Amino acid sequence: MSLLRYIGRRILFVVPQLLGIILVSFFLVKLIPGDPAVMMLGPTASQQSLDELRQKMGFTQSLPRQLLHYLHDVVRGDLGTSWQTTQPVTQDLFQRFPATLELISFGLLLAIAIGFPLGVAAARLKQGPVRKFADYYGLLAGAMPDFWLALVLIYIFYTKLNWSPPPLGRIDMAVVSPPTVTGSMVIDSLLAGDWDALSSSFGHLVLPVLTLGLINAGPILKMTQSTMERTLASDFVRYADMCGLPRRVVLRQAIRAALPSVVTIVSVLYGFLIGGAVLVEIVFSWGGAGQYAVQGVLNADINPVLGFVVFSAIVSLVIYLMVDLLYFALDPRTRT
Amino acid sequence: MNAAPPVLDVANLWVGYPSYRSETVHALRGINLQVAAGEIVGLVGESGSGKTTLARAVMGLVPEPGAIERGQVLFAGRNLAALDDAARRAVLGRELVMVIPNPRAELNPVLTAGRQISNVVLHHLGVGRREADRIALDMLRAVRIPDPERRFAAYPHELSGGMAQRVVIAIALVCSPRLVISDDATSGLDVTVQSQVLELLQTMVREKGAAALFITRDLAITAHFCTRIAVIYAGEIVEIATTRSFFRRPRHPYSIMLLAAFSHNPALRARWTRSQDAAGDAAVAGCSFAARCVRCRPLCLTEPPSLRAEAADHAVRCHFPVDTAA
Repeated sequence: MSLLRYIGRRILFVVPQLLGIILVSFFLVKLIPGDPAVMMLGPTASQQSLDELRQKMGFTQSLPRQLLHYLHDVVRGDLGTSWQTTQPVTQDLFQRFPATLELISFGLLLAIAIGFPLGVAAARLKQGPVRKFADYYGLLAGAMPDFWLALVLIYIFYTKLNWSPPPLGRIDMAVVSPPTVTGSMVIDSLLAGDWDALSSSFGHLVLPVLTLGLINAGPILKMTQSTMERTLASDFVRYADMCGLPRRVVLRQAIRAALPSVVTIVSVLYGFLIGGAVLVEIVFSWGGAGQYAVQGVLNADINPVLGFVVFSAIVSLVIYLMVDLLYFALDPRTRT
Repeated sequence: MNAAPPVLDVANLWVGYPSYRSETVHALRGINLQVAAGEIVGLVGESGSGKTTLARAVMGLVPEPGAIERGQVLFAGRNLAALDDAARRAVLGRELVMVIPNPRAELNPVLTAGRQISNVVLHHLGVGRREADRIALDMLRAVRIPDPERRFAAYPHELSGGMAQRVVIAIALVCSPRLVISDDATSGLDVTVQSQVLELLQTMVREKGAAALFITRDLAITAHFCTRIAVIYAGEIVEIATTRSFFRRPRHPYSIMLLAAFSHNPALRARWTRSQDAAGDAAVAGCSFAARCVRCRPLCLTEPPSLRAEAADHAVRCHFPVDTAA
């Protein structure tokens, strides 16, 4: 019951947190140089039409007034309209956010699948080829830019080998998209039992997911390795050894103790990648949320930028809440 | 002593830690020690004297990068250091157990106390989880922990130091071991709790018919709980005797210095304590205690003494054993 109260309180706190985030990002976005009216009407527009548009969009009002207006709309679930897509920002984001979440969720799953076992193995074996491989891998993954790896993968698997579909979006243009349920093309095709859509969307997903997975396995590997090394050298593992518990049992206990830090690094990476995967999104023409926001910044299209900030803040807050609940499950010392 | 073969037989054990720039540091230098069934032997020494290295060597787990250089340890006739990992794990926690100090840090923080006892039962006695849990709970009752059902489900951070120590004793004794090693196990506890825990440990060791090696810095503890006492200094046993003989007539100047440290008589303390600043580094060739010895003579600086029997139940490593009844 105290757990439910805790969740309730956390969700209640989301409101002031969101307010603060909107406040800061609103003024920051307003600082971006560039006049939306000029962008929208082009360089040949007359002064009069520019003034009219500014008036209509509320840019002549004072900043606090504009903020109040914006907040008023946000409360009603209206994040404004993007002048580039001429669609409501909420609608745009509901289309694009699932694309980003699909990409980074699968990417991080792959990263965990690579980084975690490798980190555990490297921590157990002080020398030998596995340890050496892990060391080099961590170094390489940290040094390589993700968009560059993406281009290399495209060059090898699309240009040279032609194994993968062209890096253009999430599904072949000739294939009909499955009805949206979860927002993930792959899962939706699976749910619809549409094999053409499944194989096409899966094919499109492989290279970007491989890119994000290979790069982000680096930090996960490093974190797992250092935490496991500390755990394996800790007093309770030594004591478990002295008690003659079987090796695999001791290892399982050590992994269990190392899990919270892995959860932490994964959640940090997740929050970061919502916006941080944008270069990979651009390389693969993924049509994700990060791409949408960057276009907004470049074209002084303010509403998409703010909308993106609000959306990713909500997603991050949900993720951190989930992490805290995971901590509860993993570590009895936090349940006080 | 008993005619039966000893549970623990340490024979001329040398353990060294290779050092990066200088010579290998010898933590143990020719230790000979036997512990027979039913015996409680106290091993007394200051920090750095090699007590913990000895405990680890007995378990066949000399901490890296240390290594046994000479001699061997036989536990019930077996050399644990020569066993493979799985075979050693079958002995540790089952026949040869360790009672550790500071248990709140050494128990697994994410498992309940009961689960940690029952894990040991499960893996060593080959019973199912339910039976293991039952045995574990019985054991918690046997170590007289208050409210055992609740403590069974408690995590280590929810236990007091004394209760955690009882849990560790329960883990140690639940499989009815043949030898219990206690490494400074009660040093972190309040004095009143300490004596309760020690008495409990002594009773349980007797009840289970086990032998025990009590490693401690506190001579006073050994007086009440041990049948024999060995004093270790700089990796060597300098005096070994039955408790009775030791406290009646301590022979080694170091033992007397340790005893005098408890004395209320400042003159006695001063008489047996030599300032370490005054000591040189000259003792390398001779007796390892020479630099701190108030009775040091020229011979002590050149010739290392050997462990000589002064009586049937009393041996001392000194050229000039003290001859006055203390």
